Amino acid sequence: MECIGLENFKRIFFDPRMSRIFNNALGNNFRYMAIAVFVFIPLQILMAYLIHIKIHGHNLFRLMIFLPYVISPSIIGFFALLVFDPNIGILNNVLLGIGLNQLVSSWFGNPSIAFYLLVVVIGWNGIGVGMVIILANMKNIPQDVVEASIIDGASVWQRFWLVELPFLEPSIINVVVLSSIFALTQFDIPFIVGGLNGGVNGKLDFLNLMFFRYTFGDAYFGETALGFGAAISVVVFTIILCIAILQKLVFSRLFKR
Amino acid sequence: MYKKKQGLGGWIATILLTLYCLIAVILIGNMIISSFKTKHDLLFNTFGFPKEFSIENYQQVLIKDSLYRNFINSIFLTVASILSLVFVSSMTAYGLARYRFKGRQSLEVYFLLGLMFPIQIAILPLFVIMRTFSLTNTFIGMIMLYTANMSFSLFIFTQFFKELPSALHESAIIDGAGEFTIYLQIMMPISKPVIFTVMTVSFVQIWNDFYLPLVFLAKRSLHTLTLAIYQYLANFLAYWNYVFAAATLALIPVIIVFLIFSDQIISGLAAGSIKE
Repeated sequence: MECIGLENFKRIFFDPRMSRIFNNALGNNFRYMAIAVFVFIPLQILMAYLIHIKIHGHNLFRLMIFLPYVISPSIIGFFALLVFDPNIGILNNVLLGIGLNQLVSSWFGNPSIAFYLLVVVIGWNGIGVGMVIILANMKNIPQDVVEASIIDGASVWQRFWLVELPFLEPSIINVVVLSSIFALTQFDIPFIVGGLNGGVNGKLDFLNLMFFRYTFGDAYFGETALGFGAAISVVVFTIILCIAILQKLVFSRLFKR
Repeated sequence: MYKKKQGLGGWIATILLTLYCLIAVILIGNMIISSFKTKHDLLFNTFGFPKEFSIENYQQVLIKDSLYRNFINSIFLTVASILSLVFVSSMTAYGLARYRFKGRQSLEVYFLLGLMFPIQIAILPLFVIMRTFSLTNTFIGMIMLYTANMSFSLFIFTQFFKELPSALHESAIIDGAGEFTIYLQIMMPISKPVIFTVMTVSFVQIWNDFYLPLVFLAKRSLHTLTLAIYQYLANFLAYWNYVFAAATLALIPVIIVFLIFSDQIISGLAAGSIKE
């Protein structure tokens, strides 16, 4: 073993080919994280709230929204292929069947939508976890406060925004941090759906996938490279640590009362 | 407390959520039904009921492709890992909750950090360690990994043991019980619900785990069910009638466990992530 100093890190950041791959993967991770935080978490709060206020079928919804989480990633990948396969996929066949021929697409083969499809699939798989965490927190909201707000004539929206939401702060912070870490360590489903090389034009590439490809695959100039892989995972870990600390700081500022 | 009668908005929400939940029902239902179709039937009658129920796919995957071996691998690995995990994590938690010693606090924080950082981050050092001790491609190595990845169960156990009255412990000592006897004959029986939660949650996670087996179980005869299905998927179009059968076999145990123990799994997962 010889010491090559910061050569591996230089390669990640400055080698023209490698830095493009790295930036693309990092961009995908961040884009997924943004969607998770700004789309999935509001959705999770909404679903949890609907179940919390006991709309019809709430017990079944809690079960069924959580259900995809217990399905193994390779079966999720299978479902994704089954629905989105251009030839035999359910979606294209349904679209053809109801005459919407112009909407037929190659889905994961189409670089402009492949990423968003993947996000939908991952979201479907994991959305229940955040939801049940927030739901468990909702059960701890002191009921007398909520009742007082009802007696004082607060509307449903006011009650939610001004009375109930502040009590959810701990679980929402937790879900934001956990989702972000989950977003930055994304591997299973992109690997199964998009393959080792990250799909068409690298649209389904993620940092962890890049790490796996160069460490255990043979994509690093035709050989496996533990050293280069280690450099990538150090970078990934640093990013995760920074994001987690940053989020904690932002939240503690935001909720300082 | 909340209005019993549901307004228009509530009904719209019910309908939308029902449609959303139907996705899972249709996908899983379709998978199970299609697993009984022959390839020809599947090609021309993709979404309907099978013309005739054939178990040919199951025969092919289970016996000819020896998926039964992957099935046994998965069951063995999951059960052994869960037993080892419950044993080690409950003992550790008992020690952390019961004794006051130097560095206890930091040790607890150290274990809790594992709740935040997934095992993927540490995969490379793990790989090097496992390879050095020739533990790659062995179930022992995998069981050790799953046991070491015990932050979640440790957290649940520690919370539980901390809430137990210390009188329980003291009276047992007065009665002359040794520490291990107290752990085994008093602590274990009363923590049955917690053990249950840990077992069910770990079952789902270990049974479905994809990443660790992918990295550490390269040998084909050691593949778990998730890996076996992945192998089929790599050649999806050629074998898609078999994938239905294989996926059904992999999904059925976990769905059954989930439907029976959903409360434990859901509340356990939620409890493991609300700290603060």
